[in-house]
Amino acid sequence: MPRWTRRDMLMNTGAGFGGLALRWLLGSDAGAYAAAPQAPRVNPLAPKPPPLAAKAKRVIFLFMYGGPSHLDLFDPKPALTKYDGKPIPVFKPEDAFMGGKTRNAAMASPYKFARHGQAGIDISDRYPHLATCADDLCVIRSMHCESNNHAPALFQMQTGSRFAGRPSMGSWVTYGLGSENENLPAYVVLMDHQGAPVNGALNWSNGFMPAAYQGVPFRPTGDPIAYLNPPPGVTDQRQRTRLDLLGKWNEEHLAANPGESALAARIASYELAYRMQSSAADAVDLAAEPASVRELYGLDQKVTSHFGRNCLLARRLVERGVRFVQVYSGGNEGPKAWDAHDDLKKNHDLHCAETDKPIAGLLKDLKSRGLLDDTLVIWGGEFGRTPTAEGGKGRDHHAKAFTMWMAGGGIKGGTLYGATDDFGYNVTEHPVSVPDLHATVLHLLGMDHKRLTYPFMGRDFRLTDVSGEVIQAALA
Amino acid sequence: MAIACRWVAGVVLLAGTGGASAADSLFDEKVKPLLATHCVECHGGAKTKSGLDLTTRERTLKGAESGPVVVAGKPDESLLVHLIGEKGDPHMPPKGQLSEAETRVIRTWIEGLSEPPTVAAGKPAKSDHWAFQKPSTPKPPEGREWGRNGIDSFILARLDKAGLRPSAEADRATLVRRATFDLTGLPPTPEEVKAFVEDPSPDAYERVIDRLLASPGYGERWGRHWLDLARYADSGGFHNDLDRPSAWRYRDYVIKSFNADKPYGQFVREQLAGDEVDPASAEALTATGFGRNGPSNDDNVGKTALDREKYRLDELDDVISTTSAVFLGLTLGCARCHDHKYDPLPQADYYRFLAVFNSTVKKEIPLDADGRLAGITKQPKTKSTLMALVEDGPKARPTRLLWRGDVKNEGPAVEPGVPVMFSAVAPARFAAPASGAKTTGQRLALADWIAAPENPLTWRVLANRVWQYHFGRGIVASASNFGISGDRPTHPELLDWLASELVANGGKIKLLHRLIMTSATYRQSSRSNTEAAAVDPDVTLLWRMPKRRLEGEAVRDAVLAVAGTLNPKMGGPGIKPKLPAEMLVASQRNKWPAVTKEGPEHWRRSVYVYVKRQMLFPMLELFDAPGASQTCDRRPVSTLPTQALVLMNDEFMNDQAGRFADRLLREAGAGAPPAALAERALWLALGRAPAEGRVADAVRVMAAQSAAYRAAGKPAIDADRDALIDLCHVLLNTNEFLYVE
Repeated sequence: MPRWTRRDMLMNTGAGFGGLALRWLLGSDAGAYAAAPQAPRVNPLAPKPPPLAAKAKRVIFLFMYGGPSHLDLFDPKPALTKYDGKPIPVFKPEDAFMGGKTRNAAMASPYKFARHGQAGIDISDRYPHLATCADDLCVIRSMHCESNNHAPALFQMQTGSRFAGRPSMGSWVTYGLGSENENLPAYVVLMDHQGAPVNGALNWSNGFMPAAYQGVPFRPTGDPIAYLNPPPGVTDQRQRTRLDLLGKWNEEHLAANPGESALAARIASYELAYRMQSSAADAVDLAAEPASVRELYGLDQKVTSHFGRNCLLARRLVERGVRFVQVYSGGNEGPKAWDAHDDLKKNHDLHCAETDKPIAGLLKDLKSRGLLDDTLVIWGGEFGRTPTAEGGKGRDHHAKAFTMWMAGGGIKGGTLYGATDDFGYNVTEHPVSVPDLHATVLHLLGMDHKRLTYPFMGRDFRLTDVSGEVIQAALA
Repeated sequence: MAIACRWVAGVVLLAGTGGASAADSLFDEKVKPLLATHCVECHGGAKTKSGLDLTTRERTLKGAESGPVVVAGKPDESLLVHLIGEKGDPHMPPKGQLSEAETRVIRTWIEGLSEPPTVAAGKPAKSDHWAFQKPSTPKPPEGREWGRNGIDSFILARLDKAGLRPSAEADRATLVRRATFDLTGLPPTPEEVKAFVEDPSPDAYERVIDRLLASPGYGERWGRHWLDLARYADSGGFHNDLDRPSAWRYRDYVIKSFNADKPYGQFVREQLAGDEVDPASAEALTATGFGRNGPSNDDNVGKTALDREKYRLDELDDVISTTSAVFLGLTLGCARCHDHKYDPLPQADYYRFLAVFNSTVKKEIPLDADGRLAGITKQPKTKSTLMALVEDGPKARPTRLLWRGDVKNEGPAVEPGVPVMFSAVAPARFAAPASGAKTTGQRLALADWIAAPENPLTWRVLANRVWQYHFGRGIVASASNFGISGDRPTHPELLDWLASELVANGGKIKLLHRLIMTSATYRQSSRSNTEAAAVDPDVTLLWRMPKRRLEGEAVRDAVLAVAGTLNPKMGGPGIKPKLPAEMLVASQRNKWPAVTKEGPEHWRRSVYVYVKRQMLFPMLELFDAPGASQTCDRRPVSTLPTQALVLMNDEFMNDQAGRFADRLLREAGAGAPPAALAERALWLALGRAPAEGRVADAVRVMAAQSAAYRAAGKPAIDADRDALIDLCHVLLNTNEFLYVE
C-alpha cells in the first residue's frame, strides 16, 4: 500500500508548518468549556485539560445492544422461582412493549447465581470469567430509562435524549477533552459481527456539533477507516508528487492571505491525514500481540473471537490515546442482539458466551498494564427485561429497572448500588437515571455535567439536559 | 425533565414576597412541619434532590434546579400538588401517600399566595425584548461618503463607531466567483469570468446578478438552505430507517418555489396549511411535507394505545419545534414540559400550537402517472404518492396541557392560538371553522398570522437568514432563536430596514438578494488586515467580506462542474452514487445499490443525493452537511483530517480528476502544449488568471511525472495524460478551490 511519508508532507514547507498551522494543531488557545467553534480557529481535537480533577482519562463503553436481562445476570430474584408461571403483584400491562404477548406470569431465571469477590457481588453462572473480576465492578442495579422501545432507549443511553439528533456521549467527551492522539480518530466505534444496531450511525452521531466529534466506525477487515489509502493506480510516488505540489501552492496561498487561520488549519489537516494512515494501520495490527494476550481475550476460540478482537482493539486504541471507544455486542435485530423475546436462555447463553471471556480479559489486561486506573469501563444495554414471560420462554423489554456496571478509572470496585423490588420490576433504592449515569461519567473525566455545554440555536445544551446527579457511592 | 422556567420563578418570588402574610403564617405553622415529615429527608438539609429544598418558604418557592414547583394562587397548576397526588409521576413521597387533610393544607397555602401576573391564564406577558416589539422603520443614515445603497450606510455607521474602515472592492474575477457560488453553488466558467472582467458597461455587475438569479441553479442552491431548516431526508431515521419513496416531491417543491420567487407568505401558508389553502392542488399538498420531514419510527411504535399516543405527540413535537424555530425564531419546543426558561412563553403556548396541529393526520395521497392528484373514484394505476400532513374534517381533536409533557398527566384544556405575548395584537384564540368547512382552519389561521406583514418576527427572521447565507453569519447569529437567550443583532436597524424592504416587496426573496449583493458591503475584498482584525477578529462588523469554505454539496458539485461531468437534470427521486463497499456491509438496513462504476445518472447536483439518515453521504457529511434529525439554522465549519483523506483518496475524486484531464485534452485539441493545458486547468478550477509561477510549477511537475510514467513503461500518450490527472487532482484539493473569497 502506498503511504505518504512525513518528509513528503513537509518537503515544501521549509522547517515544517508555518506558525499558524502549528498553533492550530496544538490548539493553544483552546480551553475546556470553550465556546463552540463556528470557524476552525483552533483544532477541535487538540487535547484540553479537564477543568476538574479527573480520575479517568478515557472510556470504553461495552454496549450490550438489545437489552440484557438484569434478572439473569446481576440481580437474582428468588421470588421469580416461587412465582414461576403465576402473576406478580407489581405487573402493569402498559409496561410491556409486546402488549398481549407479555402476560402477567413470572418466569424463573434458568441460571444459577453465586456471590463473588470479597464484596460478594451476585453474578450468574453465564459470566464465570467476569465473576473473577467482581471486586473491580461497581454494579448499579437501580438503572431506569424513559423508553421500553429500542430506538428511543438507545438514543437516550447514547445521547441523553430519546429523540434523534443530539450528540452522543462520546461526542461530548471528545468535545470536552479533545484527543490525546490526533493521529487517530478521537472517538471510535467497533461494531458486532452481526452489523449495526438499530438507529445505525445516529447512535454515534455528533448531532449538532461539528463533524470532528463524530464516532468513527473501524472496519473489521481491510483499511480500518474509510479513504485511508489511495485507490488502485495511485502509487506512493504519485501521491507524494501530488502532495508536494499541493503543499507548495497552499503555502503560497496562505502567504498571500495572512491571518487566515482556517487556511492554515486545512494545511495542517493534510498533515494529520498523513499521520493517520500509519497510525490507524498500526493500531489495528494485532499480529504484534503475543499468543497469551490473544488467548486472554478469547481470540483462539470461534465464539469469542469477534468480540474478543474488538475488546483487544479497544485496549490498543485507548493505549494510543483514543478518548472514547464504543464496543457493541449484538447487532442487527432480535436474536442477533440481546433482545431475548423468544427464548431467553438460548439468547443469553450465546451472547454471554461471546462476551464473558473477552470482557474479563479486557479488565485484566488493562489492569496488568496499569491502564485500568484511568480507563473507565462501562457495561450495559439500553434497558433490561421483564420478570414476566413473553410467549413461554422469552422476556420483554423493561425500562423501569435494569443493571449496568462500571469499572476502572475512579470507580469504587466491589460496590453494589441500588436495589429493585422482589421481582426486579421497580427500583426501590437509589434510583439512577440515564442522566445520572452520564453525569457520573463526565465527573470521572473531570467535567461538571452542568458546565459542559454546547450552544445550538441560542441554547446551551448539555448531555444531561436539565437533570443528572453524580452517583457519589460509585466513586473511589 | 425540567419543571418550570427561571423567568416565572422571578415572578413567583416577587408575588410571594409582596404580601400574603396569612399565607406566611400558614406555611410556618402547617406546611413546614408537614414537609419536614414527608419530604425533607431527600429535599432539604443534607440532600437536596433535583436541587429542591423544602426547608423554608423562600426555598420552597424557589423550586427545583429545573424550576418552581409552586405556582402562586394556583394549586392545580403547581407541580408540588401534582406529585403528591395519587397520579403523581414520579409519585412523592416515593413511599406512602399524604393524607387528604395534608394535601388540603398544601393546596390552601398555595391558593393564598398572591396570584402572579402570568401567562398561563392567557394574559399578555410583558416583555421589552427587542425581537418581540414591532420593527422600527429606520431610514438609512444619511451623509455617508461610502456605499452603493442603504445597507452600506448602516454598515458604515457601525464601522465608524468602532473606528474601522470598509475594505476596497474586490477584483472582478473574485466578485463573479463569489456571486456565482453564492447564488448557484457552482463555480463560474472561465468564459463567464472573462466576460464580466471585460464588460465596460456600468450595470455589468447587476446583469451578472440577474442572470444568476434567473438560472435554475439558484433554486437548487437556496432550496438546499431551506431543506436544512426543514430537516429534509429521504428516510425515517429511527430503528430501521424506513425509506420515504416520495419525500423528494417536497424537495422539488422547495427548489421550484425558490426558482419561481414565490412570495414568502404563500410559501409559509402552503407548507403549514397547503390542504386548507388549496386542497385540489398537488403542489400545495406536497408543501405540507414540511410537517412530515422529521425523523419517524413508524415501523416500531409500541403495541399499546398509550405508546401510539406518545409517539403521535412526539411527532407533533417535532412539527411544533420546527415550525416555531424556522418561521418565527422561537424555541417553543422548550416549553413542552415546563414554561420556557428564558422567553415569555408559558407552557400553555406550546399546547396552543399543539391544538393547531393536533387534528392533523399523516397521509400518502395517490397521484396519477403525471404527478397530478388521482381522482378519488379512480384507482390510481401507479403507486405514486405524495407525503402530506392534512386534516380529515372540521372537528378538532381536543387538546389538553400535559404536565411535564407527560401524556398521563393531563392539565387544563387549551385552545389553538398565538403565543399569549402576542395576544394583544393577534387573536389569542383562532376562530372556529365556518359551517361546511372541510378542515378546522387552525393551521391556516396560524400561517396567516405568521405571514402577516405586521408579525414582528417573521420578516426579521427571514431577512436575517438570507443575510446569513450571503455573509456566513446573520445580523442575529442565532438565526432560529430570536428570543432572550439568542444573540443580539449586530445591526438592529439594518435588520429592521431589510425586513421592511422584504414586506414592501411582497415577500419576494430575489429582490432582497439583489439589494444585498449590489451593496458595497457585499462587494468588498476579503483580504484581512492586522489592525482591523485586532478590533473585530470575527468580522461581525463586516469591515471586509469573510472568506468561506464551500459546503459539502458545493465541493462535490464544483468538482463535477470543473471536470465537465455535471449532469444538469433537475428533480425526481434521489440519486445514490457509489459508496465504499465497507459502508454497505456495515449497515444491513440500507437499500443502497452497490455501484461499480459511476455514470452521468450519478453526476447530478448534490441536492439530489438521497438523504439516508443512518447513512449520510460521506463527502457531504464530512463537510458538515446536517444530519437532518432536527432543523439546522447554520452549519458548523469543520476542518478535519478525514476531509483531507476523502479529497485525496476517494475514487470519486480520482475518477473526476481523470475526466477533468480528458476534458482539457479534448477541448485543447491534439498537440496542445502542456503550458496551455495547465493554464486552462487553473482557469477552470480557480476561476481566474493563474497566479505567477503556477503554470511553470505545473509544467515542471507534469514533465517529471510523465517521464517517470514513461520510465515505468507507459506509452507516451498515457504518461502525459496521467501527469495531467495529477495536476487536476491537486487543483481539486487546493485551498483556493475550497474557499470563496
